[in-house]
Amino acid sequence: MAMLEVNDITISYGTRPTVKNFSMSLEEGKICSLVGESGSGKTTVIRAIFGLLPGAGKVTEGDIIFAGDHLLNYSKKEWRKIRGTEMSMIFQDSGAMMNPTKKVGAAYTEYIRTHENISKKEAVKKGIMMLERMRLPSGDNVMQSYPFQLSGGMRQRVGIAMGMTYQPKLLLADEPTSALDVTTQAQIVRQMMELKENYGTAIILVTHNLGVAAYMSDHIIVMRNGVIEDQGDRDHILYHSENAYTHKLLEAVPSIGGTRYV
Amino acid sequence: MFDEKDVILDARHITRRFPASKGRELTACNDVNLKFYKGKTLGLVGESGCGKSTFMRFLVSLDKPNEGEILYRGVDITKLKGEKLRQNRQNIQMVFQDPATSFNPKMKIRDVICEPLLNFGRIKKSEKSAKARELLEMVELPGEFEDRFMHNMSGGQRQRVGIARALALEPEIIVMDEATSALDVSVQKTIIELITKLQREKGITIGFICHDLGLIQSFAHQVAVMYLGNIVEVMPGEDIGEQCRHPYSQALLASVFDIKMDFTKKIESIESEIPSPLDMPPGCPFSNRCDHCMEKCRQERPLLKEIGPGHEVACWLYE
Repeated sequence: MAMLEVNDITISYGTRPTVKNFSMSLEEGKICSLVGESGSGKTTVIRAIFGLLPGAGKVTEGDIIFAGDHLLNYSKKEWRKIRGTEMSMIFQDSGAMMNPTKKVGAAYTEYIRTHENISKKEAVKKGIMMLERMRLPSGDNVMQSYPFQLSGGMRQRVGIAMGMTYQPKLLLADEPTSALDVTTQAQIVRQMMELKENYGTAIILVTHNLGVAAYMSDHIIVMRNGVIEDQGDRDHILYHSENAYTHKLLEAVPSIGGTRYV
Repeated sequence: MFDEKDVILDARHITRRFPASKGRELTACNDVNLKFYKGKTLGLVGESGCGKSTFMRFLVSLDKPNEGEILYRGVDITKLKGEKLRQNRQNIQMVFQDPATSFNPKMKIRDVICEPLLNFGRIKKSEKSAKARELLEMVELPGEFEDRFMHNMSGGQRQRVGIARALALEPEIIVMDEATSALDVSVQKTIIELITKLQREKGITIGFICHDLGLIQSFAHQVAVMYLGNIVEVMPGEDIGEQCRHPYSQALLASVFDIKMDFTKKIESIESEIPSPLDMPPGCPFSNRCDHCMEKCRQERPLLKEIGPGHEVACWLYE
């Protein structure tokens, strides 16, 4: 059985379903991308997998099975146990998830000590080690900085380092590179590929950058208005798909040496 | 392709320094020279914090450079004051990245679009509705939208309203600061099609800030690459790709993820972080991240040098 199985789920905020009959499965060490326009339900799906649907959001039908467990029956306590250890999430702007009045080190050690019973000193050491493993130069310096003192790329790396502290089986990444420059984006993409190779982490990537999705993914799911419009591997989506919407999306991607309007 | 007599706006030796702590100075723009041609688009690309927006803000007189001049039809607009400055604003308008936050949320679309026209006494209050409808139709939105508010519209529709407002005064130049980066690719495409169509019809000059090289090459006539406040390469729009010469432009290009790329290739990225503009390297600004760095690069700053028609590079490799 695959590590993650999402069987035919329907997610609603209030009465209207936002995502309908969504299914996917993911093996260890594989990367799956969800692509589509804003409002197509990409983020809703990964939030449901992470048990973090906001407000009135609820999975009304279907089942999510992670490592043999039915996630939808989890209690708050059980969720707290697996979030951050078995699966973690990277957000679009990792700076925004940290307390702006606290140094990165304070947030990081708090996170480590929530999951592990160790002293503050050891937690700091562990944090610095993780930061340096994510190629952040001088990790102790980063720990001493406030989030606003770091550049967008550095903040994103801190987010990845935090998410990877306990080497989760599954990493959920919500537009991890959308707020970054092309050069920083390339660095982060490379780092995520290394996670997959070195730790066998499975990744679900939400993105609207089809180039990044195509480069990274083993499987691509195209979503539209809350349903799966098209799916397949890179070859299928880029070259063999007969779906009109997929074609429309691909045509809209500007590419070097592509259409010129002038 | 570019005729000297079509130069409509000429920025010469623009330098802007901001005071920083401990008596230091942050150089946001360092001796920038750029020419804007009538009816053409100039794309300005570079990483965040390289000074693209700082430079474009001078054009719309939102800020003034410490040194240098910007000639618009022979007049230095950086020296304008009072009523003359206000009148000049009709000629150069701006479209912002996020129209949702740049307009008053309590104003109806009609008022948003017609505000500049009323300010300059171009129309009477009674003509507002008709003019708003006309402008909305120009940007391919239904005229009924005049009664809406910004929050009733999607991102793409809002950006169209932003364009309608910028074009209301029929300016000769519009500056767009990342005007499409908050939009989905499919919406982005329609906005670019609209901009290029309006440009053809009205002969508007566009200054476009962007960090998507694929996008910029699809519609810019001229592309300038900026790094740490310096223009390192200026080239015709169709040359971006194989023709770009500066190691930084090539590095930018190598880090683009394209759906037509070769997926087996390793991603090449510049691993180091961009140096702070507070302590700029003495020689070439790119010297500490460049693979081809020579002794000379660390000591002397290269200047832009023509290497082909309309193609200039600031790099010692091409001396």
